[in-house]
Amino acid sequence: MKTIFRICSLLFLVFLLGANSYFLGAGQAQAPKASPPILLTACGQSPDTSTMKVVIQKSKIPYDLVELATVQDLANKKSSGTPYKTIIILMGASLKGMGAAGISIEDEIKRTSELIDAARRDKIMVIGAHIGGMKRRAQGAAVGDNTDELSIDAVAPKSDLLLVLKEGNEDGRFTVIAKQKKIPMIEVEKNLDLIPEIEKLFK
Amino acid sequence: MLRKISILALGLALAFFSGLSFYRSRHLKEPVVLGPGVTQVKKLSEYFPAIKGSTNDANVYVLEGAKPGGAILILGGSHPEEPAGRLTTWILTENATLEQGRLFVLNSANRSGTTVTRLGGAYPPDYTIRTPWGEQKFRTGDRWSNPLDQWPDPEVYIHYPSRQELAYVDIRNLNRAWPGRPNGTLTEKTGYALTQLIKKEKVDIVIDLHEAELQYPVISTIVAHQRGQDLAAMASMVISAEEFKIDMENSPKALHGLSHREIGDNTDAVSLLFETPEPFLDATRGRTDARLLLEGKDEFVVRAGKHGLLYEKIDEKGWPIDVRVGRHCSTFIQVLDLWSQDHADKAVVMKNVPKYREVIQKGVGAFLHDPAKADPKTVYYE
Repeated sequence: MKTIFRICSLLFLVFLLGANSYFLGAGQAQAPKASPPILLTACGQSPDTSTMKVVIQKSKIPYDLVELATVQDLANKKSSGTPYKTIIILMGASLKGMGAAGISIEDEIKRTSELIDAARRDKIMVIGAHIGGMKRRAQGAAVGDNTDELSIDAVAPKSDLLLVLKEGNEDGRFTVIAKQKKIPMIEVEKNLDLIPEIEKLFK
Repeated sequence: MLRKISILALGLALAFFSGLSFYRSRHLKEPVVLGPGVTQVKKLSEYFPAIKGSTNDANVYVLEGAKPGGAILILGGSHPEEPAGRLTTWILTENATLEQGRLFVLNSANRSGTTVTRLGGAYPPDYTIRTPWGEQKFRTGDRWSNPLDQWPDPEVYIHYPSRQELAYVDIRNLNRAWPGRPNGTLTEKTGYALTQLIKKEKVDIVIDLHEAELQYPVISTIVAHQRGQDLAAMASMVISAEEFKIDMENSPKALHGLSHREIGDNTDAVSLLFETPEPFLDATRGRTDARLLLEGKDEFVVRAGKHGLLYEKIDEKGWPIDVRVGRHCSTFIQVLDLWSQDHADKAVVMKNVPKYREVIQKGVGAFLHDPAKADPKTVYYE
């Protein structure tokens, strides 16, 4: 009888643990720790890199902003003796910047995919960030303009951590990706909250 | 014969009354009661004499603090049909005081554009703001300079000095004429005069106040030259956390003639452009009257929003002028505060300008002063 009770208790405990991780979801999984220096770039030339740059500056973390960062930038930094430990890639396409830079979303996806693959090889942490709200979620975009979503598809599922402004996740797009790919996700109410979150992440 | 005379008489009567309306609108006097902070009123021609006596020889209101600091130029009326910009500059000239630094204000950056409305657009010639002491009228204006001041338009507008080909009509658009040309059209000369002001007064930041249709992606935002991106990003974060949502956009490097691009490229000043939502400008609007201009309510624009065609939200409450002016005031105050925190020697410390919630609560008219009761020496006209 005692043995049966012990087995039942153990099973119940296993069930609780499983249910806990299921109900918490990936969005509430423990965020990994990140290390500097940071390579900051975007997939889609989002102007949100400026916002993230200010956040990183306020957090006093060493970084480089390279709008069109390539694998070569990782190699150069590595050979300088201070390799990048974290890459933050802003998702969501620019309304004006990408056209103005004379590049296409296809170019951007190719560039960032190569960057992420190289990061995997070098064990560099990849943070996919979407902090532009619904404006960078194809809201009101012209027919056939799905550049925002393409940039999300290219980066989010391959990230080690997602950093998302709540407003841009109102349809749960990032929550679904985080859950399916088991990626921890930090969701902020307002971009000003990114400063303590980044500080905590790099502590 | 009688039929022909009747048609001729009808035509003449229509021409007379419409001509009278145009004349009245073109010559409507817009008073500015100088606030306690204004220390000088200059003319734009002091920076470029070639525009002296022209329609665009605008008033430049100078506010100076006792303590030396930085210099800011704020432009209302680059596109006069975007009234939140002009009304914000009215609030500044009639109320603001400076403790440190200098502030240059133009209520009518393209004054010629204030003297005409959109040709064929059925715009109201003017609009009225209610105040505690009565009403004050303002010219509605247009996006472009008046063809009476600059005509004809070319087949193609080649921007100077980039040589970029722009829409022909934009040869009369001040925000496609930067940095200007000394021997160009009136609009180009105006851009040149303003560039000279920026250089001679060693202006640190230029802020160009605008409004945008909800079907335009660059809306409810601060557009920043690359040297102003950090400032704009921080302002956007703080305002979005504390007051209302405002984004930031980078000024595209390859799009020429715009203030946020050319001022930053051709002078030492940081250039920023603020946009608020103005349903009056939307192509799908209904009746284009002063009510729409000021209340920003339009059932057709709301319907466009329900079809996902807009870049900004709108409901039955619309986008009232008090909200739009309040956004400009708060964004300006925040930019000044952040700039001053990071540049103590070039700080510009301003007081007595209402923030977003106060403008909404009291209305724009609460910050306009009665010219009839003011000392005539302190009343200027735009």
